[in-house]
Amino acid sequence: MAAEAKLSHTAAMILQALSAGYVYGFSIMEMTGLPSGTVYPAMRRLERDELIRSQWERQSIADAEQRPPRKYYKLTAAGRATLEASRKRYPLLERLIATEEAKTT
Amino acid sequence: MKQPSDLLVSVFDAALLRSASLLVPSIQREEWRREWSAELWHVRRSCISVDDTFSWEAQREITGFCLGAFPDALCLRSQPAKGNPAPVHVHGSATQTLLWLSAALALCFVISRLLPGVEAETEAARYQIKPTVLLVSEAAADSTQPSISAALYQNWKITRQRFFQELAFYRISREAADAGRVSMPWNVAHSTTNLFSLLGLPIKYADQRQDTDFSLPAVILSHDVWMRSFAGDPHIAGHVLRIGHTRVRIAGVAPAGGWQLPGAPDVWLLESDAQFASEASSRTNGYLFAQLSPRGQAAMSGPGISISALNQDGTAIDMFGAPIVAPVEGPWGIYEFALFLALVALPAVTSVSLGDTHVSSHRPSMKQRLNRVVFLGAKFAIIAAIAFAASLDLAYSNTLGYSPLAECLQLLWCFTICLFGFRWAVADQRKRCPVCLRRVTNPATVGLASRTFLGWNGTEMICMGGHALLHVPSLPTSWFSGQRWLYLDSSWDFLFADSCVY
Repeated sequence: MAAEAKLSHTAAMILQALSAGYVYGFSIMEMTGLPSGTVYPAMRRLERDELIRSQWERQSIADAEQRPPRKYYKLTAAGRATLEASRKRYPLLERLIATEEAKTT
Repeated sequence: MKQPSDLLVSVFDAALLRSASLLVPSIQREEWRREWSAELWHVRRSCISVDDTFSWEAQREITGFCLGAFPDALCLRSQPAKGNPAPVHVHGSATQTLLWLSAALALCFVISRLLPGVEAETEAARYQIKPTVLLVSEAAADSTQPSISAALYQNWKITRQRFFQELAFYRISREAADAGRVSMPWNVAHSTTNLFSLLGLPIKYADQRQDTDFSLPAVILSHDVWMRSFAGDPHIAGHVLRIGHTRVRIAGVAPAGGWQLPGAPDVWLLESDAQFASEASSRTNGYLFAQLSPRGQAAMSGPGISISALNQDGTAIDMFGAPIVAPVEGPWGIYEFALFLALVALPAVTSVSLGDTHVSSHRPSMKQRLNRVVFLGAKFAIIAAIAFAASLDLAYSNTLGYSPLAECLQLLWCFTICLFGFRWAVADQRKRCPVCLRRVTNPATVGLASRTFLGWNGTEMICMGGHALLHVPSLPTSWFSGQRWLYLDSSWDFLFADSCVY
């Protein structure tokens, strides 16, 4: 996957949300306001192109909190580079979903 | 404690997820279901209030979330599984063309298997009357007319024969037949029981039933009558019908080749010699068949044999015995002839050149050239097979049995399909990239016809795989008479690289 792949605004928003610490599907839905039928397929494609990767939460953590384990997503290096390129393309992206660093500064 | 309506909606949501999971490839299904179940748990927890009261708005939101599982499942389904190669782009490819041709071939063969006329023609060609059997008739008479009296046959039968080792006879009479549902006049051939064995024709669907009344005279149906009056019922043997005033049992069906016999019999009523002698009038004329003995075969020269015999009253009569020449060519013979004609006529309707002129010094590899030849050969082979099956389908679509007209139609259709099919195959080959065998696309007109003497004009097409450009001149000139291939180097690759845009 080329680092300079052009992302749609939706895919860029999802990458930005992941970068901002929203690491599972439902939280991204809540943050972006996108429906589940958009968010999850987009994450499949991003994962296929190795811009994000997923990891299951440990069972012991989920058991301790008496809930089913969740699948977490995080950006890869290629994903971070693509997000940087997308931020230049969509300058308002960071204002829509502020990252932790942006919040603290 | 959950309310019943809440429980009902939960079951509905779970059913939605389970239905959507069926769309997911089985290898990913379990993990997909686990992720969506976990997410649903969190969605429910987020949407439903702390006191657990039922809210339609919350339930609608949860169900909306579950409906999103379907696009997700479809997305996963359309993605290639990890470790599997990406799907090959088959649009306009050699594979797609061969698949379409193969599908057409399979369809034509299935149809030909269902048409009774095709089966009849195959049978007519397979079951030919023995060449050592002669049809004996008076020399002065037409052999298609009955000229031998039953009495003469009886006389010959009991007399020692020099050139013949066996004789058979039948006479035709027009009689009303009643088969229960159908009642119509038939050409009934009263024949000796050895007729079919002497001619070398098998009896199909012979009676194997235990409850058949074998005391009744046996009757053999012609293929046409079997198809027309009994709808080709393979279990017809053993049924009883009435011919004239006689009750008879159906003993089997004659093969389609039976039409070659003179008198065009609809049925053969097999009668013992005793029945035959008592029933047949000595004046009734019929057809006499004789099986040549080895001595007779040696004596026979030319198309037949002249026989001098004595009549019952002692007068000498001249007779002539001729083999029953079967005009049935059979589907393969016609097909081979049509195929030969089409191959001979092909250069008259198209140029057989494949346009292999190259502008650059680059040449396809030996493997690519071999693939191209194999592909062209495969197209020719499949088209030739389609022509065989489709011509039979078209010729016998309205014919239940064998007919010479259908054979003519088969020849015509076979020739037409072969000729134009081969023409298409050659034209299609010229428009295929020599490297990847995909059809070139995106035609662009270059130059103006009015400037032919100043520069090149024609059409350019490009291979979507980025391998080559095809130049086809509008007007062939002395310096540009045929199409040319220009191979593209690696500097063109960026135009054809798959971009990943969401």
